[in-house]
Amino acid sequence: MSITTTLLLTLCLILLPRARAEADLVVVVNARNGIERLTLDSVINIFMGRYRQLPSGIPAQPVDQPDGRPEKARFYRLLVNKDLAEINAYWARLIFSGRTSPPYQAKSTAEILDRLARQPGAIAYIERNQADPRVRIVLELEH
Amino acid sequence: MQKFGRHSILVRSAAVLIASFLVAGAVSIAATIVVTGQRQHRAAVEHLGQLLDTVESTVSVACFVKDAKLADEVAQGLLKNKEVLSVAIRADGVDLARSTLPGRLPGEAAGNTQLTRDVRSPFANGKTIGRIQLTANAEVIRHTIRDEVRFVILQIAGQLALVALTVVAVMLVFIVRPIKAMSDGLHRMDATKGERLAVPQRHANSEIGRLVLDINTLAGNLVDALSQERTLRQEKEVDERKYHSIFENAETGIFVVAPDGILTSWNPAFALLMHIPPYEAYRGNLNIRQLPWENASRITELTLHCWLNNVGLADDLTVRLRDGYWRWLHVVLTPVGENQLQGVVHDVTEHKEAEALAKQLAVTDKLTGVTNRLGLEEKLQRLLSDPLIAQTGGFTLIMLDLDNFKRINEGFGLPIGDVILKDATARLSNCIKASDFIARLAGDRFVLTLESLTGSDDVDHIAERLMQSIRKPFYVDGSPVAIHASLGIVVSPKDGADVPDLLRNLELALDRAKAQGGNGYVFFDNTLAKTAEKRQHLENDLRRAMREHEFQLYFQPIIDLAGNRLAGAEALIRWPHPERGMVPPDAFIPLAEEIGLIDEIGLWTLEAACAKLAQWQREGIDRYISVNVSARQIPDGLPAVILSEIIEHHGIDPARLALEITEGVLMVDVNKALTWLDAVRARGFRIFLDDFGTGYSSLSYLKRFPIDSLKIDKSFVHDMSEDSSDRALIEAVIAMARSLGMKVIAEGVETAEQLSLLRGMNCHYGQGYLFSKAVPSEQFEAAASRINELLGHTPGAA
Repeated sequence: MSITTTLLLTLCLILLPRARAEADLVVVVNARNGIERLTLDSVINIFMGRYRQLPSGIPAQPVDQPDGRPEKARFYRLLVNKDLAEINAYWARLIFSGRTSPPYQAKSTAEILDRLARQPGAIAYIERNQADPRVRIVLELEH
Repeated sequence: MQKFGRHSILVRSAAVLIASFLVAGAVSIAATIVVTGQRQHRAAVEHLGQLLDTVESTVSVACFVKDAKLADEVAQGLLKNKEVLSVAIRADGVDLARSTLPGRLPGEAAGNTQLTRDVRSPFANGKTIGRIQLTANAEVIRHTIRDEVRFVILQIAGQLALVALTVVAVMLVFIVRPIKAMSDGLHRMDATKGERLAVPQRHANSEIGRLVLDINTLAGNLVDALSQERTLRQEKEVDERKYHSIFENAETGIFVVAPDGILTSWNPAFALLMHIPPYEAYRGNLNIRQLPWENASRITELTLHCWLNNVGLADDLTVRLRDGYWRWLHVVLTPVGENQLQGVVHDVTEHKEAEALAKQLAVTDKLTGVTNRLGLEEKLQRLLSDPLIAQTGGFTLIMLDLDNFKRINEGFGLPIGDVILKDATARLSNCIKASDFIARLAGDRFVLTLESLTGSDDVDHIAERLMQSIRKPFYVDGSPVAIHASLGIVVSPKDGADVPDLLRNLELALDRAKAQGGNGYVFFDNTLAKTAEKRQHLENDLRRAMREHEFQLYFQPIIDLAGNRLAGAEALIRWPHPERGMVPPDAFIPLAEEIGLIDEIGLWTLEAACAKLAQWQREGIDRYISVNVSARQIPDGLPAVILSEIIEHHGIDPARLALEITEGVLMVDVNKALTWLDAVRARGFRIFLDDFGTGYSSLSYLKRFPIDSLKIDKSFVHDMSEDSSDRALIEAVIAMARSLGMKVIAEGVETAEQLSLLRGMNCHYGQGYLFSKAVPSEQFEAAASRINELLGHTPGAA
């Protein structure tokens, strides 16, 4: 875990100049569900279908940005270093077996925020500046 | 395939080839199994790895989200490969999928090749999230291996067949056929007729070709060797037949004996000699000792000696045969190797008997049938070596000789003499005991041995009896002839230690008896021996003196009384003995006459005298020399021819040499003496009659014999001064000589008175000490000067 962290930090340092140009992506949850922080692995496990529960035991309800939003591509790039095609291919195999399904895809940022506010298990990624008091930032994805 | 049997090269080679191929094939198959197994195993692992590669990402996803369905999908997909027996996928300790080929039990997988791979997270790099395990399908691998092995077997079988066929074909063509051809050729070939193997085609330079040449060479050598062997065998057979024939037909007995004495073979002649029954030949255990030897230990000893020393031996042995008669056999034993002795046996009985007879004859006197000298010597030898005789005091020997028997022989002839000898033998035999012994030595000489009779009286008695028996008259044609005998007697061992001693001493005693006039007997004593010994020494000395020129010739002058001058000299022999001094002639001349040395001495004297005469002749001195001639020298010791030769050799006138003979010459054989005298005088020599007056001095002899001069013995001259009868005798002799035309020489003239008397009698010559004694040659002229001086002072000289 620490090695991964170190790698990510290193990666962030390398990408820093570009990241300056864009807003930081943060992983947020319902501010009331009690979770302070999440590790990158926990986020990967939740978004890539491995775990369906938050550490607090609440069923996790990951929410994707709508297709076409740059945040989505950036998010998966930062999260698992894969492009969206790869992510889609990944999900294609799982959809086939039917046991696991991909995160719910919101239609807009507002819906994301709304879900975060309504659903205690909701977890999503947004730009830092889009965060409001209903959500709590549990992980900052940095370059 | 009878042609190529179990042991044919072809079959054997093929068998070896197949066996080696099988072994190689087995090794190859084993190797194939191992190698193929390993390869298949590796291939299976690789293949499984490749399979895993193809499903890796899917398995990764399935494991990531623990999607059993997806995992099962993957597993089913993998199972579609026949190499895969079962698949097991686990994630986080939970089996996501576990599938096995339909119809196969999952447990079967145990022991099979398995490939396990960790499943990594598709996102967090390198993080292990599960495990996938594939079990290879061993059946498939085994199947593959079986296929591979089958292929290898096929391949090897094919190669084997090909190679075997090739080898068989090659061997057939290059080896078996040529060998077969050679073999067939050898079977048909008759090497003795000079046939030889042909070299198979195209093999002229191959090993086969060389083998054929070698075989031909060998065949040639064998044929040669066989032919030699056959020749040898034929020769040997001929030899064997020959020797067998000799062995069988020889009249000589032949046998072979082994070291234990067993006779291993013998020929018919031997069987006949030894009376060996025919069945003995089959029993084979006839010992040489069992033969009828009179002394079986002797043959044992002979054979042992022969074996031990490995030398041939021969001896004469007697056998006593069943019917009581015996035979002498000459047995020759020869080692013939291998401890066998060959014996050759001759029957020498006849030879032995003849030998015994000859031996008997050799010791028997033919005339009288008694023992001869040889037999006597043997008998004496036996007596001397008989210890019994020595203990009982020895024995006595009598030698008997008939006195004057020579005259009987001369008077009546030898046959009468022989009759008398036989008669005498019979008479003598009657005088002695049967145990005593009579031998005839030679002529009329006998020896009698008297055992156990040594007492002198007894011997006297026997001697008298023997003489008596001879004294009885013998009758010759009815007329009695009186004979007597002389006897010499010796007693052993006192009178001689060995046979020659005894016989010599017997003769000495007999000689003494003869010398005493005969008709008597004399016991030997040591003085006889000493006398004889002295005589023997003298004889030896005399011979040495002759050999070493010890004699000297002295000359005594003879004076011509009428002419009053020195007319000549009488040569007188002198012997200056190196030890005994001067020996007078009468001390050795009789012995010289007896031992026959007189002829030699006479010739030497003559030579020396002639040398002196020659010297005088050269010096112009007119003298003669008279030389004494012994009666023994006439006629053969001094033939007239020799006399002439000596004279001629020295170139002197025979008239200067006078030969002095004695009356004894005329007494022995009148006719011979006369012939000699005539011959000598005819050659011009003069004859003096020496020592006249001492012997018979028969006037008729003087008349008959051609004598030139008489020498009056000095004994007459010596006494003439005092004895008138001697003087008258000398006068008569001188007168008689004068009437017969002879000269007279007076010997021993010692005084002037004698000389004067002789002159008065008109004696022609004189010699004696008055003038000179006999002097050595070199002093003669001095003596001559003295005589001339003497004659010049003598009265009558004028």
